[in-house]
Amino acid sequence: MKFQLLYFSILLLVAACNPSQPTQNQTTELAEPVEEAPEPTTPPAAAATVEPVVLPSGDDKMFVGPFVAVDYDENRNISYSNKITLAIRSLENGIVKGYSVVAGNSRPFEGTYTEKDGTIDATASEPGDDKYDGVFTFRWQRGSSTLTGTWKANNTKLGVTKRKFTLEQRVFRYDANLELSDSGIAGIDLYNTLRESEGDADMAEILTEDAEKFNASKVLLRKADVENMHKGDLEVTRNAIYARHGYSFKNRRMRYLFDSYVDWYMPVSTDVSRQFTELERKNIELLKRYEQHAASYYDSFGR
Amino acid sequence: MRFMKPLLVFLLLLIYSFFCWLMLRITLQYIPVNTDVAFLRIKQEYIGMLHYKVAFFAHVFAAIVSLAAGFTQFSERLRRRYPKMHRWSGWIYAINVLFVAGPSGLVIGLYANGGWSSQLAFCLLAVLWMVFTGLALSSILRRDVAAHRRWMIRSFALTLSAITLRAWKFVLVAAFEPRPMDVYRIVAWLGWVLNLLVAEWWIRRSGNRGKK
Repeated sequence: MKFQLLYFSILLLVAACNPSQPTQNQTTELAEPVEEAPEPTTPPAAAATVEPVVLPSGDDKMFVGPFVAVDYDENRNISYSNKITLAIRSLENGIVKGYSVVAGNSRPFEGTYTEKDGTIDATASEPGDDKYDGVFTFRWQRGSSTLTGTWKANNTKLGVTKRKFTLEQRVFRYDANLELSDSGIAGIDLYNTLRESEGDADMAEILTEDAEKFNASKVLLRKADVENMHKGDLEVTRNAIYARHGYSFKNRRMRYLFDSYVDWYMPVSTDVSRQFTELERKNIELLKRYEQHAASYYDSFGR
Repeated sequence: MRFMKPLLVFLLLLIYSFFCWLMLRITLQYIPVNTDVAFLRIKQEYIGMLHYKVAFFAHVFAAIVSLAAGFTQFSERLRRRYPKMHRWSGWIYAINVLFVAGPSGLVIGLYANGGWSSQLAFCLLAVLWMVFTGLALSSILRRDVAAHRRWMIRSFALTLSAITLRAWKFVLVAAFEPRPMDVYRIVAWLGWVLNLLVAEWWIRRSGNRGKK
C-alpha cells in the first residue's frame, strides 16, 4: 500500500485529464454552427438537381475578390469578408445568367441587364429556395477586368443583409504546382485569427513552417513525413489540395486561411472530390488519418 | 500521522480507480474488434499482418487485467486475511504477464511508432516486465518472500507504465505542445524508467526501515 502511495501522489497532478473519445467518422469539412454556413442538411443529390447551372465551364467569365459585409449585426458571429467567385455564363438579349461560389455555397442567378456604351448594369436574383439567397446588382464595363456591385439578402433577419464587392477577372485553372510557401502562413493562429474580437490564448492553434512544407498535390507523402506534424499543419496541407481544385470551404478556419493568405486561391466549386488525382487521393487519406488521430489523442489521456 | 494513513490509502485507491476506469474506456474502444479505430488508424500498414493484429488485440485486452493487481496484491491486510485470494490473483497476474500481455507487448513494440528509440524502449519494457514477473514468481515458489516483494514491486512499477506513459503525455502536451511523435518518443522512455527508479528507491527505503 505504501508503494502505491508514492505513485499516486505523482498521478494526482494529472487527475484532471480528459478521457479519450474515439472519433471514427469525423468528416473533412466539419461545418461550424455559424451564421454564414449553408444548411448542412441539404442532401447533395437534391442540391445537384436544383442547381444544374453551377457546373463551372471554361467559357464562364469569372471574377474573384472579397465579398464584404456592409449591413450586418455586430452582435452575431458573422463572416465579415469571404472570397467570392462570380461567374457570368451569358449576357444575351437583356438576360444575364451566371452563378456565384462563396463560403461553401454555390448558387445560380438570373436577371436582366441594360447596356450603355459598353457598360453593363445588371440585377440578378438567386432562386430564393436557400436561406442565404439574395439579389446581386453589379456593373461591368465590357473589356474591363473589374466588376463591382452589391448583394442584398432576401431574408432581412440574417447576420449579414448586404455585402459589396469589387472583383478582378481571373481564369480558373487547376495547377498542381501552386504552393503555399510564399503565403506566409507560418505563425498564424488558426483558431483566433478568424475571431476579430478578443483572442483566447488557450485555444490558440499556431501554424508552423510545416504547414507550407509539402505540396500534397505533387509529392506522395509517407508516414515519416507526416507523423510528427501538428494537427493544424496537417489540416492545411490536406486542404491545400482542395484549394488547388477551387473548393469553396464551409469550414471557417480553412476558409479564412485560404481566403486571406493564399493569393492564387479561387473558390469555384463546392464538390471537387471527383477531380482529385490518384496521388492526391492517397495523400488525403494519409493526412486525414493523422489529423483524426491527433484530434482524438494528442492532448488527451489515451492513445 | 498514523491515523492519516487509511485516509491516504483510500484517496489513492480512488485516484487509481479513476485511472483504471480511463484505461478501461481506452480498451473498450476496440470492442467489437475493429481495425480502423482509435490508435489503429495510424497503424494501417501493420494491421494487415496477422501476428501484429493478434498481438495488438491480445495486448489491449490482456494488459488491462494486470492493473487489477493494484487493488489486491499490495495490501498487507488482504494478504493476511485472504491468503488464497492473494495467491490466485497472483497466479493470474503472473501467467497473464508472462504468456499474454508481455509477449504481445514485445511483438507490437517491434513496430512501435517513432523509430528505433521508441521501439527499443517498448521492447525493453516488455522484456523487463516478463523478467521481473518471472523472478517474482520463482522467488515465491522458493518461499523467498522478501525477494518476491522486491520483484513484484518492480514488475508492478512497469505495469503502471500503462497509466504513467499516458499521464506524462498529457502533462507534456499541456505544458509544451511538443510535436506528436517527439512526445511519443519521450514518453516511451519516461513512462517506465522513472517508475523503475521510484520502485528502486521505494525498495531501498522500506528495506532499510525494516532493518532498524
